[in-house]
Amino acid sequence: MRSTHKLILELVRGLILLCATGIVFAATQLSGERAPDFVLKSFVGANTRLSEYRGDVVVLTFWANWCSDCRAQLSDIRELNVLHGDAGLRPLSVSMERLSSSLREDIASLELGFPMLDDPGLEVSRMYDVESLPVALLIDREGVVREVVQGYERGNGEHYSEIVERLLAE
Amino acid sequence: MRVIRIGGLLLLASLSLAAVAQDDSSEPLAEFQVAEASGQTEFRTLDEDIQDLKTSVMDLNRDLFLLEEELLFPANTQVAVFVSMDVGEFFGLDSVQITLDGENVANYLYTAREVDALIRGGVHQLFLGNVRAGDHELVAIFTGAGPHERDYRRGATLVFDKGIGPKYVELSISDREQKLQPEFIVTEWE
Repeated sequence: MRSTHKLILELVRGLILLCATGIVFAATQLSGERAPDFVLKSFVGANTRLSEYRGDVVVLTFWANWCSDCRAQLSDIRELNVLHGDAGLRPLSVSMERLSSSLREDIASLELGFPMLDDPGLEVSRMYDVESLPVALLIDREGVVREVVQGYERGNGEHYSEIVERLLAE
Repeated sequence: MRVIRIGGLLLLASLSLAAVAQDDSSEPLAEFQVAEASGQTEFRTLDEDIQDLKTSVMDLNRDLFLLEEELLFPANTQVAVFVSMDVGEFFGLDSVQITLDGENVANYLYTAREVDALIRGGVHQLFLGNVRAGDHELVAIFTGAGPHERDYRRGATLVFDKGIGPKYVELSISDREQKLQPEFIVTEWE
């Protein structure tokens, strides 16, 4: 009964907002949608919530130590962070591997300069429907996913840079 | 004399011609200015209408949200649990987990910004749910950094009687200066 009430209320609310704003809701693809919020613990123990980065441009990547392309991607993003960190770029990387002391040392040696988050139950990875690695989501200042880059190719760094500069300028 | 008279007539004629020319050229300019002013007025009115409509939509959305909460969590079954902090010198809050009658109902990780908000006097609604009337047991487990930055994990239990009205429970974390330890207090709001 309560679920029916809730559904009716949501439909009414959605119809009212739709009529008022004229927005056509996008398909269920993540690109163009608001990035699902989550909170994860970073490798240094700090709880990190995605929604607290609203107002900044976020590059969210999913990573695993055994993925060589992931390391190359992280290297590109580290350079981006050096260039645009002061302008409001905030990279976040989610590790899909179980945290171990050796992995922690490995990540520390990368000297990323941005948080590496631990996703032990792969809940966030499932939320973002990560099927292959690496994957990068570029999220604008409003928290909307503007582009999803699957895989890695040489030259991706320049592609990221173009999009980041455009989002930072908005 | 005749020359002066003719010159005066010529001057008068030229002045009148200039006046007529000015009148002719000012008419389209005046029409344009009137049209521009009415257009601006129309835009201003339209903008005000849009702002009024947005305000109405937001008010309606708020009312719908309140109605939704009343429908989903009616007063006779509603239980709400809140977290607050006082100072926080002896305890760095990391997370709070709540079990209600043995069932895990909430598990919240607090970021540094959220902890700061709590220390500044903020109150966080950690859980909102429904329980039937009668006795219930609420267990709150606090995890964080205790004195000397050591890992700290403490629990607090409350057995409460759910009556007709809504039940509000506060989980308060404060500093016990005498023992240099944090204190976790669970209280019911009347």
